Amino acid sequence: MVSGTFGNLNVNRNDQHCMPVALTTAVNLSEMKTSNNPAETLVAFSIGSGIGMTIYDPISSVGGLLNFMLPSSTTIESARIKKYPFMFADTGIPAFLSTLEVMGARTERMKVVIAGGARVLNQTGVFNVGRHNYQATRLILSGYKLDIHYEDIGGFHSRTLKLNIGSGTSTIHYPDQRETKI
Amino acid sequence: MTDIKEIVSEIDTLKPIPPVAAQILVLVDDADSSLSEVADLIIHDPIITANVLRLCNSAYFGLSRKVESVYDAITLLGLDHVVDLVLMESLSCNFRKGGDGYGLGEGELWRHAVLAAHVVKILVKLAGLPVKKHLVFTAALVKDIGKLILGRFVAFSFEKIDILVHSRGYSFDEAEKEVIGMNHEELGALMAEKWRFSEKLIYIIQHHHLADAAARDDSEAALVYLADIVCMMMGMSTGVDGLAYRFYSDVLNRTNLNANDLQTVIAKTGESWDRIEGLLNLV
Repeated sequence: MVSGTFGNLNVNRNDQHCMPVALTTAVNLSEMKTSNNPAETLVAFSIGSGIGMTIYDPISSVGGLLNFMLPSSTTIESARIKKYPFMFADTGIPAFLSTLEVMGARTERMKVVIAGGARVLNQTGVFNVGRHNYQATRLILSGYKLDIHYEDIGGFHSRTLKLNIGSGTSTIHYPDQRETKI
Repeated sequence: MTDIKEIVSEIDTLKPIPPVAAQILVLVDDADSSLSEVADLIIHDPIITANVLRLCNSAYFGLSRKVESVYDAITLLGLDHVVDLVLMESLSCNFRKGGDGYGLGEGELWRHAVLAAHVVKILVKLAGLPVKKHLVFTAALVKDIGKLILGRFVAFSFEKIDILVHSRGYSFDEAEKEVIGMNHEELGALMAEKWRFSEKLIYIIQHHHLADAAARDDSEAALVYLADIVCMMMGMSTGVDGLAYRFYSDVLNRTNLNANDLQTVIAKTGESWDRIEGLLNLV
């Protein structure tokens, strides 16, 4: 389920005025998308206990969004399901970083934003998948010496996360219409 | 507090569920009923028959030959699948419009309903409990019918509800009850009663958040509850109420499941995402 826009291959242009047409690309559950198209905005809608992660390199203007649901592929027995690397933090984050690097992003310049990891009321301990997702994220990113630039984690509401490739701005939207720009 | 009578009177503004759907539900959960009895019921409703044929002949199923009768459909797809399609088709009409007051866009409540019904099937298989599978499928599909009407009242009282949830530790349905005088489970049960749903279906709708401890011992109500929890965790069409409902971990034990199973169900649902989307586009 990997997809991305490389170069200007997917840029829609208005031929008359040569103006780039804004393009919004949904990043569904267990997907990641990367882009260097300045007219493109990547968006992961309604993130619950899973985590949405945007990464942007301001020098190469390459960015991407990963939308994973679970902390570890090792807890799932089905080999078939393990074929979805972006479903899990342990397989999704490394593959996400590799794809960005191939596109010209450099780890030391990456700005990381994460949102999600919500929980149902009274959901604690082993049942708090949101918390486990967050812990797995921190652990994996620390292995790459990557800091989290901004995080909005936990609580019991869903979030929508966007990354505008042109500006490098991440935006977190809440169901009550509030939003935070990073 | 809102006048309960005013809320209840709005039930009549919704289109009732076709009686044939309720009859099918009774038949398929009766072990003694035969395939031909179910097919007869569908055949005698020309609109449902036409819809079943349309759905079965769609690209979604990719069947090698044309389905020309309800019997054909049952033979090729299996009775379970045809029954699920009939139930979805019969229930979708009202759901497509609702969800406003809960901050959901058009069709989002229906999307959540279809996903919950899909998740409960995975849970039933994993739990291996002897439950009535079409009953839990339907219950998962209709558990939130109360939101269709209560949404307007939630929107009106949202600030008060939000304060109770975020500052005083209430769950969203507890706050609905406190502020409006009724929550969406109770209203849903009243609607189901008016539409002559079976007693068990009414019970599950009324207790799908398991606030009443006795309902946690009911396997069918517990599985519908868990399906809802999984949908919330996946952020599926969660509105302003979000994940603000109570989690009872002991319900997993009572349904032969554990914390890992919860993650497995999430993974299996994620894996079949394309299929669910296909179904949503179809019905």
